[in-house]
Amino acid sequence: MGKKPSTMAVFVAVVVLIVGACSPSASATPGAPAATGPAATAGASAPAATTAPAANLPAVPTGYTELDKALGADKPYNTKKVSIQTQWTGGEATGFANAIADFSKATGITIQVDSIGSSHETVLKTRIEGGSPPDMAALAQPTGVLAYAAEGKVIDVATFMDTAKLKAEFASTIGLTSDGAHIWSIPTKADVKSMFWYPVKAFAAKGYAVPKTWDELTALADKIIADGSHPFCVSAGGPGTATGWELTDWIEEVLAKSEDPQVTADWISHKVTFEDPKIKAAFDKVSGLLFKTGAVDGGGPQIVNNDLKTAMDPMFNGDTATPGCWMQKIPTWYGPDFFPDRRTNGGDSKYKIGDDGDIAIAPFPTISDQFKGVEGSADSFMVLADRPEVRAFAEFLATPEGLKGWITSVGVLSPNNKVPAEWYAGNYKLKVANQILSGATAVIFDASDLMPPSVGGGSFWTQISDWANSNGTNTDAVLKAIDDSWPQ
Amino acid sequence: MAVDRAQQPASGAYGTPRWVLVASLIGLVFAALGVKVLIDPQGGQNLLASIYETFGNSAGADLLHNGQGDQFIAKLLLAVVALLVGVGGIWLLFTSASTLVERLTPKLRDRIIPWVFVAPALVLLTIYLVYPAVATVIRSFFDQKGAFTLANWASLGKGEFLEILRNNIIWLVVATAGSVGLGLLVAALFDRIRRESLAKVFIFTPLAISLVGATVIWKFVYAVQPPSEPQFGLLNAIWTAFGNKAVAWSTTFPINLPAEMLIMIWLQTGFAMVVLSAAIKGVSVEVLEAARLDGASERQIFFGIIIPLIRGSIVTVTTTVAIATLKIFDIVFSVSGGINHDNVVAVRMFQEMFQFFNDGRAAALATILFIAVLPVMILNLRNFRRQAAM
Repeated sequence: MGKKPSTMAVFVAVVVLIVGACSPSASATPGAPAATGPAATAGASAPAATTAPAANLPAVPTGYTELDKALGADKPYNTKKVSIQTQWTGGEATGFANAIADFSKATGITIQVDSIGSSHETVLKTRIEGGSPPDMAALAQPTGVLAYAAEGKVIDVATFMDTAKLKAEFASTIGLTSDGAHIWSIPTKADVKSMFWYPVKAFAAKGYAVPKTWDELTALADKIIADGSHPFCVSAGGPGTATGWELTDWIEEVLAKSEDPQVTADWISHKVTFEDPKIKAAFDKVSGLLFKTGAVDGGGPQIVNNDLKTAMDPMFNGDTATPGCWMQKIPTWYGPDFFPDRRTNGGDSKYKIGDDGDIAIAPFPTISDQFKGVEGSADSFMVLADRPEVRAFAEFLATPEGLKGWITSVGVLSPNNKVPAEWYAGNYKLKVANQILSGATAVIFDASDLMPPSVGGGSFWTQISDWANSNGTNTDAVLKAIDDSWPQ
Repeated sequence: MAVDRAQQPASGAYGTPRWVLVASLIGLVFAALGVKVLIDPQGGQNLLASIYETFGNSAGADLLHNGQGDQFIAKLLLAVVALLVGVGGIWLLFTSASTLVERLTPKLRDRIIPWVFVAPALVLLTIYLVYPAVATVIRSFFDQKGAFTLANWASLGKGEFLEILRNNIIWLVVATAGSVGLGLLVAALFDRIRRESLAKVFIFTPLAISLVGATVIWKFVYAVQPPSEPQFGLLNAIWTAFGNKAVAWSTTFPINLPAEMLIMIWLQTGFAMVVLSAAIKGVSVEVLEAARLDGASERQIFFGIIIPLIRGSIVTVTTTVAIATLKIFDIVFSVSGGINHDNVVAVRMFQEMFQFFNDGRAAALATILFIAVLPVMILNLRNFRRQAAM
C-alpha cells in the first residue's frame, strides 16, 4: 500500500466531480443512446408501476456482449452458476436478492450469494489468498480493491466491458478503482453521508427549527443543552471492531463543507498532513460542537463506549416524544433495522421514517457558501473469475436495471447516473438523498476509506478514540500521532 | 512342503490374504471418487442427481442442479461420503501400506514398518506446521509486491508497536502470575475444606466458557451507559450506588488492561487449580507428618516441602498459561479491537493481515510471537523430560 498515495490523488481528483454526476438525474433516461431499448422498459415500468411490476431487466441490446447473449431466447448459460460474496445482511441482503431474482429467472444462471456480514473482508481475503475465491465479491473500500488488483487477483472489467459506457454511466465513482486503462470493479451501491436523522415531532413540539447552517446548528445545540437535554447521538464503540468511523465522518464532513475539494484530495494523498492548519481547523470545529459539556450524554468518553446499534436509542425515549438525544449524523444505509423495537422484537418497526413520521432526515448544515461538498461512499463488485456467465452477471449489475429491484423495494442509491429519478420517487430516504446531492457543489468520497488502510481504518480510528476519550483536549498530539503512522 | 515354503514370498508366512489387497485397491478407487465428490462445491447435489438419474427420476435431478429439490438429502449424502472417505480412507491407507510392506523381506520389513505408521503424521505435520512456519518467516522479509525488504521488521521499532509489545509483556507477567498464583492459593486452601469438590466446581466452571463468550459476559459487567440512563453494567451499578461517577472500565487506559486480564485470570485459574490440587494431593502424607513431628510450621511446610515437591506441576501450568497469554487475541479483539492503547501482538497481526493488507508485517509479528513462545515451550519440554526420567 505504501506506493499508492500518488495514484490515489488521481482517483480522488476523478471522484471530486461537479455534482449531477452521481445524482441520478431525471432527464438521463429519455435521452439515453439506446433509446428504443431502455425506453421500452421504462415505459412499461413508469406508468404501470402500480400494476404488475415489470421485470427488473435491461432491454436487449444492453450494450454489453455477454449480457445480450445471456438474455437471448436460447438461454446459453442456463444451469450455470455464479457465486458471489457480499457484506450485505438484513434489509440490504433482501434488497439485493430482489434486484437479481429476475436476472436469474430470465437467464437460468443461478446466483449463489454468500452474505457474510461484519467478517466479510476477513473471509474474502482468506478465500482469495487461499486460491478459491468467489466469482465476484463486493467491497466497500476502494483501497481493498486496488490491493487485490495489485496482487493480480482481480479481472480487469475493461477487458470485456465497454469502458466508455462505464465511464459515462458511473462518472463519479468508476475512477475510485480505476488505474489507467484498467477498471478493477463495478460500482454497485452508493450511500450519501451528509445528513442527520432527527425526531421530527419532538422538534415541532419544542419549536426547534431544522438547522440549515453551522451557526444555526451550534445555536440549536446550545438551546437543547440549555433545555436540559443532549443534542447529539454519536457512536465510536463498535459493533465489533468497526469503531471510529462515525467520528472520522464528522471531520470529513466539516472539511467537505468548509474547504475546496482539492484539500480533501491532498489530505488523502498526504500532501496535506493531519497537522495542517486546515485539518486542525476541522478537528477544532467538531470538538467545539461535540465535546461541549452536555452536547453528548456522558461526553467524549461515552462516545467511545456507544455502539452503533444502540447509539440512537435515547432518541426514541417516550416514543420519540422526549428524546434523550436529538440528532445523529449517519448515512443513507441506516434504517429500521437499527430501531430499538425492531431490534428487540423483530418484525416491522412501529417508527416511520418521513417528514410526517417519527424520524426524519435533513441535509447536513452548510458551513461555507462556496463549498457545499457532499460526503458519499460506494460499494463495488470485483470480478474474480473470468467465465462468460460471470461476465454476463457483472454486466447486468452495471446496467441501471441491475439495481432496480433493490431501489424499488428496500431502497438504495445506484451509482449509475442512468437510473431514472422516478424509481426513487416512492422512497423518502432516497428522495432526501437526491435532494442533498442536487444541492451539492461536489461529491466527495469517504476520505478515510481512500487513505492507506493502516491509517484510514487503523491509526485514524485509534487516535480519534483517544481524542474523544480526552474530550478533544489533545488535538495536536493526536494529529501528530496519525501523521507519524503514515506509511512511508 | 518344505521346499514350497522356502520358495514362497514373505507374505505367505504372515498370511496377508489376497482379498485384502484387492479390497484395498477397490477401496482406493472409491476413495479417489469420494474425494472428487468432496472437492466439487456441488458434490452432494451432483451425486444425488446422478443417483436419481440412474433410477429414472430426471425431474428430481434437474431440480437438484438448479439448487432446489432434495437439498437436505444431498447434504446428508455428502456428510456420509465425507465420513466414509475420512475414516475408511485412513484405514485403507494403513492396510494397503502395511500389506505392501509385508510383502518385503522380513529384515527390510521390520525397518520400514514403523515409518509406515509414523509417515502420515509426519506428512501432516510438515504440511500444516513446518511449511507454514517457514513460509511465514520468509514472508516477513518481502513487501506486498514480492520484493525483498527489511522494512517490515524495521517498522516494528515504532512507538505504536513498542506499546503493543509492552502490553504483551504485561499480559505475560500479570495474567500468568495471577492465574497460577490464584490457582495455587485456591488449591492449597481447598485441600483443607470439607466440600472441596463443590468449591472447585465453581472455580473450574469458567474454563468451559470460550474466550469470546467470557469476554461478552464481562463486557456486560464493564458496560457503561450515559449518565442519564440507568447503569445496567454490574460493576458500574455497584460503583455508582456508592455515589461514584460511572467508569468506562473497558475503554479507559490504563484501567482497561487489568480489566481485560481479569477475564483471562477468571478463565485460567480453574485450570491451574485442578492441576496443582492434584499435585498437592500427590505429596506423600509421611513426608508431611515427618515435617510436623520435626516441628515445622504450616507455612514452612507449604513453602519448604509442598512447593518444591510440586515444582514440576507448577512449571507445566505456568508454561501452559504463559503460552496462552502470549498468544492472547480473543479478549482484546472482542473488547474493542485494541483501540484504546490495549492492543497486543496477535490482534495487530490480524489487523495488519486482514484490514491493512500488510501481509509482510503480519508475518513479522507472527514470527515475533513464535520466537517468544519458543523458550517457554523448550522449558516445558525439558520439564517433561525430567519428569519422564524420574
